Order: sequence, then structure tokens, then C-alpha cells
Amino acid sequence: MEARTVERFKKRTIWFHWIHTIAFLLLIITGAVLFFPGIGSAAAGGATRIIHHIAAVVFVGGAILYIPLNPRMALQFVKDTLSWGKDDVGWLLAAPDYYFGGPEDKMPPQSHINTGQKMWQAVVLGTGIVFVVTGAIMWFARGSISEAAFQWCMIVHGIAFIVALAMLFVHIYLGALHPRMTESFRSMLSGKISPTYARHHYGKWYEEISEEEKKSEA
Amino acid sequence: MELKRRDFLKISGGAAGLALLQPSNLDKVCNAAESSSNDSDVAMLVDVSKCVGCWWCYVACKQYNGLTETPIPDPSDPPPLAPDTWTTLFTRKKDGKWEFRKHACMHCTDAACVNVCPTGALSHNGLGFVQYDRSICSGCGYCSQYCPFEVPKLQTNKVSGDSIMDKCTFCIDRVTNGQPTACAEACPTGAIQFGKRKDLLEQANSRLAELASTNPDACLYGAQELGGLHVMYLLEETPEKMGLPEDPQVPAASKVHDIIQWLGVGAVAAVLAGFGLNYIVARARIAKEERK
Repeated sequence: MEARTVERFKKRTIWFHWIHTIAFLLLIITGAVLFFPGIGSAAAGGATRIIHHIAAVVFVGGAILYIPLNPRMALQFVKDTLSWGKDDVGWLLAAPDYYFGGPEDKMPPQSHINTGQKMWQAVVLGTGIVFVVTGAIMWFARGSISEAAFQWCMIVHGIAFIVALAMLFVHIYLGALHPRMTESFRSMLSGKISPTYARHHYGKWYEEISEEEKKSEA
Repeated sequence: MELKRRDFLKISGGAAGLALLQPSNLDKVCNAAESSSNDSDVAMLVDVSKCVGCWWCYVACKQYNGLTETPIPDPSDPPPLAPDTWTTLFTRKKDGKWEFRKHACMHCTDAACVNVCPTGALSHNGLGFVQYDRSICSGCGYCSQYCPFEVPKLQTNKVSGDSIMDKCTFCIDRVTNGQPTACAEACPTGAIQFGKRKDLLEQANSRLAELASTNPDACLYGAQELGGLHVMYLLEETPEKMGLPEDPQVPAASKVHDIIQWLGVGAVAAVLAGFGLNYIVARARIAKEERK
């Protein structure tokens, strides 16, 4: 890595990311034992359900706490997730070849996050809301809502689980294992990446921050 | 094609099963369809015409199972099923007179609770009824939300969220030792019969013929419902009037749940296989690019 680095994530964002990760992994494990056939015996006794509830509180509480801690980034997250344009189409067309090791120069330059990361954010936000709503209903309203309503909450919770789990695997793979994403995992630990990596992966964003730097130096 | 001995037995067995439902009574049997329970199954037959509402079944259940005891309830205020009330009476007033129907777990053959229970705490006993292992119940409550009769009840600690399900055990320790259930043994009028399901069906059909001669609404409930219930009722009214669903079904959501479980397995497998392929191809191509 070059001596000069650029800041990609603030410390509090990194903290939030990993707290959310731990909560989500706990939710996945303690949810999977009820969801996947054949491993239900791990839920015997109900300890997993209590862990599921505690992790759910951390998962939701963490997200809510992050908003006042870093309002600019929180707003940016929602804004990025919801704004889609022509550049995204370009990314989607170029991505399959690029991620299968195709030439880098065919990939259109990206902002602070690329379209794939935007899709992951949409999954996090979308399934997160579905998880919280259906989960809260099943947790607090069992017995006061109709059996049919509970049954469908369970199924919607399950569908969100499949989507989130499959996409989480994609996120982990691309973030930490893919042969091209050499600095991605480190950036979620230290918050820093090399200028070369920034230029290659987030061209538009790198230009923006370089210009800002020049202005502040001038 | 030669008829094999086994096939012959199957066919004759089926015919014998059908013969139990005498043609004259066939239309009196609620939801006629083939029952999938076994010949060795045990069951209870509740003849509501013989029930006098004495609550002895309720008391016997509480005593034998060590559940919180209460004074004899008033028919106008029957206790609902609860974690410590495994059997109760459904009551209704008709022409100024009380009518009663013992109400507890039906021990279905196609049991929604068994199907949705993630831990396997709920299962079928070899004798056909639905047993449960309290020590592995996770307290998820799915059974309580899928049972078409709303039978399983959960004791939940509001603070810790700790939860556990209870329901009628079919007096498993008695039944598996050749004794009748506590409620059947306590019943002073013979309204609750315990025995081989096969024999009870036969008994039910001859009793149904008697009842039907004077009462057009009389019917046998539980012979075929949900693959055959292990608690069957001789009713003098339509099931609905006696607090039973006319045509109970395993909720459709239960099948959807099964499908999405396997979809989940498929999705995870597909994603992981995709990574393997991607990793190999991408690494090889990038390495080739770098060599140039």
C-alpha cells in the first residue's frame, strides 16, 4: 500500500458496521435453526430465541443510534440507495465481465459506492424494514393478531431471510474474498485505502475528493 | 398382472375400513375421505349425548397431570385451554338446557403443529397421538399459530421471553402402559371412551345409527378430518354449533413454509457454487492479464 492514503470510512461508521455485523450474524444463526429443515434441535430449550431477541434490539438500536452520530452519512446512505440513473445501467452491463476478471478499463467510473454496493444497501434497508416489522409483530402481537396474520408474517420474514442471506454471502465474497477487491476488507477495518485503489474502483469519487483537497490546499 | 398377496391385503383392508362406515351412515360422517391413521392407533370417542357436564374429566386431568387445580367451573364461564388447563368443556345453551363437549387436543393424523415444529419437540407417537418433548420445546409458538383448533398454549415470561408450550399429552405414561387416559377413566357416564381407534370407529357407527334415527343433525366428527383425529366426537348438532370447525385444514401457509425452506437451501447452494466458479475464472483471467 502506498504511503499516502485516502479516508473511505469514518471510525464511527466502521464501529457501526461491525456491531451491526455481529448482531446480524447472531440473528442469522439463531434464525436459521428455526428456518432450515433438520437443524431445529439446536433451538431446543429456547436459548436461541432469547439471543435472537437481544440481537434484534442491538440490530435496530444500532441503526437508530447511528443517525445522530453521523447524520450526514446516514442521509447519504438513504439517498444513495434510492437514487438510480443511467450510470447504474452502465455498471450493470459492464459488471458481469469485470467481476469475472475482464479488463478494468471497460468499467465506467464509480462514485463513493458503486451500483452493486447500492443494491446491497437496498437489500439491507428493504429486508431490514421487513424483518423489523414482521419480527415485531411475531414477538409482541402473537395471540392478539389472527393466526393467519402470524403465519404470513413468518413466511414474509422467511423470504426476507433468504434474500438477505444470499446477498450477505455476495457482500462477504466481494468485500473480502474476490481477487479484485484487494483493499475492500482493510478499508472496513482502518477506514483507509490507497489512492490507486480509489482511482481504480471509485474513479468519480476519487476525482471529487482530489479536487476538494486541492481547493483546501490552495 | 398377478395380484400379489400384499396388494390383496391392502385392498381387502381398505374395503374393511370402508365397511366400517355403513352405507346408511356415510352421509352422516363429516368430511368423508380416506383416513390415513393406522390400525394399531388408540383414540378417544366422545359421545356428547352422554355428557352431563360434571367436569370430572377436567378435574382428573388436572390431578393426574399435576396442573393448577380450580373449583368446578360454571357452565356459563368455562375456562379456556391454557398451559395448565389441558382439557375443558365447550358449553352452549339450547332451549334452556346446557350442552357440553369435552375440548382438548384432537391428536390429528395430519397435524399442522408437528409439521411446523422446528425442533421436533412435537411428534407422532407410534400409537397415533401427538406427543411432545417439553425439554426440547424452543417456545417459538408456531404450533399455537398453525393448529386449526387453537389448542397448544404457551407460558411466556414477558421479561426474558422464555416460553414453553403445553397441551394434552394423551396421558402418554398411562396409555403406553395399557391404561386409559385419566379423563376417560374418570368419566362417570361413559361419554368418553378410550380404546383402539378401529374399534371405536365401529362403535361410533352403530351409535350414530341410533342417534341419526331421531336426530337428523347427528354426525361423527374426526373419522376423516385431517387424516383422522384421535379424539372423535358423536355430535347431536352440526360441528359448528358445538364449537368445531366444519372442515378443518392444515393452513395453506404451512405448505408455503415448507417450500420457502427448500428455496432457502437452494439459494444458499446456488450462491456458494457461483462464488467458486467466479473465483476460479476471475483469478485465472486476472493472472493472465498481469503476465501480458
